[in-house]
Amino acid sequence: MGRTEREPEPKPQDEQSLLLRLRAGDEAAFAELVRENAARLLAVARRMLRSEDDARDALQEAFLQAFRGIGRFEGGARLSTWLHRIVINACLMKLRSRGRKPEQSIEELLPRFYADGHRIDPGPPWRTEIPDPVESREVRTLVRASIDQLPEIYRSVLLLRDIEELSTEETALLLDIKADTVKVRLHRARQALRALLDPYFTNEVA
Amino acid sequence: MTARKLNCRELIEFLSGYLDDELAPEERAAFERHLAQCPYCRDYLATYRATIHLGKRAHSAEVEILEEVPTEIVDAILAARSRSETR
Repeated sequence: MGRTEREPEPKPQDEQSLLLRLRAGDEAAFAELVRENAARLLAVARRMLRSEDDARDALQEAFLQAFRGIGRFEGGARLSTWLHRIVINACLMKLRSRGRKPEQSIEELLPRFYADGHRIDPGPPWRTEIPDPVESREVRTLVRASIDQLPEIYRSVLLLRDIEELSTEETALLLDIKADTVKVRLHRARQALRALLDPYFTNEVA
Repeated sequence: MTARKLNCRELIEFLSGYLDDELAPEERAAFERHLAQCPYCRDYLATYRATIHLGKRAHSAEVEILEEVPTEIVDAILAARSRSETR
């Protein structure tokens, strides 16, 4: 059975006792923290970084940061949520350190309009029976590859908002941009992704 | 007073706000009036929603967290911690 991001929920007292042991420097507690969270967090790093080596590096860096910062963890949030944010931040640092590639314009993937506001070439609707990406490796690969084609400033926002399900404000904070910029980029990223998927899912393709 | 009218470009600008329930009541009403009479915008809304759904499902934890994390990764992290402690 699969695990989703937010389950199974450890009991609050278990988390509290783990936290106390971590703060006391208990070796077994560190091992427990890693074993319980590494799979889920590695999945986060893999989808953000697209390179297994980079994902493992970011995961390690995130845990080291978490170990160092455990004294500052306030306990207001869940430990798993706190770790999730640290991993995302470690991945973003890694993406930034890769340096800027010249990015293609997203404009050509956005809808175009006539002067009167009607859309130019709206195209046919999508067929109704698109396979679920969880069931279909082909669709999963297509969707992921399409997200990876987005320019990085749009891809990061789409991943943080739609896939990692962070709020607009959290995303803005992590990316050091304004909340309104997050909203604009998310909308453009979704439109561009829609345009990339469009040829595969319209009624005209068998 | 005449009710506000949106064209297709304005509708698409408002799309995110509509889905996030952030439109003012009169904007929402104008959005829905346009949608009721424009099959192209209804299609666009449907495919925009489908796009979000596909993105989420393609990265669903159900797919990604079936395997246990390799022991070597856990060991490497704990070893790195020991090294950083003794530094």
